Parts: sequence; structure tokens; C-alpha cells
Amino acid sequence: MSAQPDINQYKELARRYGIAATPESVSRLTQIVARQDCCVDEIVRVIEKDPGLSSRLLRVANPHAADESEYTVGTVDEAIMRNGIGSALLLAMGTPLSLALIKTFQTMLSLKLESVDLHQLDSLSGQHMLGSIGFAGKVTGHVYLRMSSASAKAIAAGILGLEPGELGPDEIRDAAGELLNIMTGNFKSNLCDAGLDCKLQPPKVGLTDDYFTPIEPGSGLERLAFRADQIQIFVEVTANPWAE
Amino acid sequence: MATKILSVDDSRTIRLIVGKAFKPYDCIVLEASNGEEGLVVAAREKPDLIVLDVTMPVMDGVTMLTKLKEDPALKAIPVIMLTAESGRENVLQIARLGVRDYLVKPFKEDQLVEKAGRCVTLAKRPVATPA
Repeated sequence: MSAQPDINQYKELARRYGIAATPESVSRLTQIVARQDCCVDEIVRVIEKDPGLSSRLLRVANPHAADESEYTVGTVDEAIMRNGIGSALLLAMGTPLSLALIKTFQTMLSLKLESVDLHQLDSLSGQHMLGSIGFAGKVTGHVYLRMSSASAKAIAAGILGLEPGELGPDEIRDAAGELLNIMTGNFKSNLCDAGLDCKLQPPKVGLTDDYFTPIEPGSGLERLAFRADQIQIFVEVTANPWAE
Repeated sequence: MATKILSVDDSRTIRLIVGKAFKPYDCIVLEASNGEEGLVVAAREKPDLIVLDVTMPVMDGVTMLTKLKEDPALKAIPVIMLTAESGRENVLQIARLGVRDYLVKPFKEDQLVEKAGRCVTLAKRPVATPA
């Protein structure tokens, strides 16, 4: 069967099942990066058309800037030239992940989660909840989810509709694991649809005081931060777009 | 007679949410944490509806669905997939296997109940009257 009937059939099923589509700019960007012969101009054109993607790319390209007035890298073109095409893939991966996380808070906790700059949050200290999940295939990498124990407890209570005092460590850990599964499942779908087939490895969740994030050779790293009421969430994505 | 719903998911959180969603209805919610356990419970209990995850250890949801559809005694049970994976290949493969509906995580309990209500009868649980 050729690809076009499959795409039409998928669109019909997605409509029937109520499956939300990935933003067009993100799908397009992932498809371009998936081609190993892609050119920078093509990537730049897609990112420049999407204010959200442009803003995130510039934030990543200016890691030490407190705000836009301190940016030394001011254009999408410069940012891609400086950080490489891999940074565009991280951008494309981070969007479905962020959308899934924000939607999870909205639908399952009735909370508005905001994407914020890293420096707007208090740093984690001491023991905290760490969830990690690896993905391997045409693109390889890891997603790390970090939050304080108090945030993890508040999230578990919100998802399960229970009081924080009613929760044991297993429920808190399981809810953090499910949050990670939802995020990664959504971004994996976008990667696979763009031809970057990969499989998710089983998640690992537990308390740790280790803040080290390993970055595999050839991989890039993007850090994302989120806030809702007293809850703070840190997400790190490492990815190598041309692992195979 | 109460409607039997089998929730197959490796996440206890999701199984608890599914149980909570059907609490107002005259339902018995059964649980399994992977496809292999799910097949055993399905064969023993003959549920009216199965709510099935895709990515699970031991046996994933696609394998369980394939085996269900191969079993003459179980193939008529409607299945709703409840998964975070909405990729084209996944959805097409699952649809071709004969799934009744598909719900992408994150989800609202109301959405699950609405989709389940299209597959089975969901009667409100009778209110207990004091003796």
C-alpha cells in the first residue's frame, strides 16, 4: 500500500478518535531534520514562521542571558549556525513534550502549567524525584524529569484526586512515571511520523540527590522548565538525530 | 447485572483513574498490569469491555489485542486503546486489528466514560438506601 492512502486513512481515524494533530511547523521541522541532506536555510524558514519555536531556539542559544535584552545571538539563522542542526531536532522534540505536559496538567489536574525560563525557578536542592526514559532507533537519547518531592506529591494527589496525606511512596513514584510516559509517548509519535522511528525503553523513577545529566557523544541537550502554583518541573532532553 | 470492564495498564495510576471514572456506574472494574495477565483475566471473567494500554512490559497492548482477536471466545469483546502513542503507524496497525475506539493520554475521565458508553450499557449505580 502506498503512503498517501495510509496518510488519508490516518487522518480519517484521527478525526474519528479525536486525536489532536502535532502543530504543522513542528511536524515540518521534524521531517526536514530527519533528512540527513537537509539545508540550514530550509530549517531557518520553518522556525522563523513560528514565534514559539523561534523564541525557544533563541533562549537555548543564549543560555546565560537573563532576558532578551542580554541576547548575544539575535537571529534564528545565527542560532542554528552556532548550535548546529541537532538543536533544531531538540526544538522539534521539545514542543510535543511541552504540549503533552501542559495538557496533562490542564486535563488531569485542572492546573495551568506555564513554560518558564530556567532561572525563573528555584533550583532543586538535595534529594528530589528523577524519572528518566530512553529512546533508541533512528534517533537516540533520553528524557529526564526532575521535581522536588513536594511537587511530585502534589502532582500525584492532583492526578488521583486524593489528599497528599493519603499517598504512599509507590503512588507518588507511579504517578511521576505515568507523567513521563505521557510526555515521551507524545513526542515519540511525532518522531516516528517524520520517519525517525524509535522505541521507548522502560522508565526509571526514584529519589536521588544526583544532578548529573549524562550526554552521549554526538547528542545535544535542551532544558525546559515549567511552573504551576507551587509545583516546579524541570525537563531535560538529550538526543542524537543521526544515531544510525 | 453489573458491566465488567477490564483495565490493562502497567501504571497503577491509570488503573486507579479508570476505576474512579466508572465508580458512579453499575460496573465492576477488573485490573491487569500487562497483556499476558490481561488475557488470563479476559478468558476467566469475559469482560464486557477492555481498556488497553499499548506500551507495557511482558506483553504489550498490540500483542494482547492480536491474541484477543484470534480467540473465538474473546474476539467480540470491544476494546478501547488508552495510550500516549498516537503515531500514524501505531494507530493504523491498531485500527486494522479491530479496535473499537482510541483515547490518547492525557485524557479526562468523562472522555473515557463517553467512549465506553458507546460500547456498553453504563447504568448509574443504584443509591444505597438506609435500612
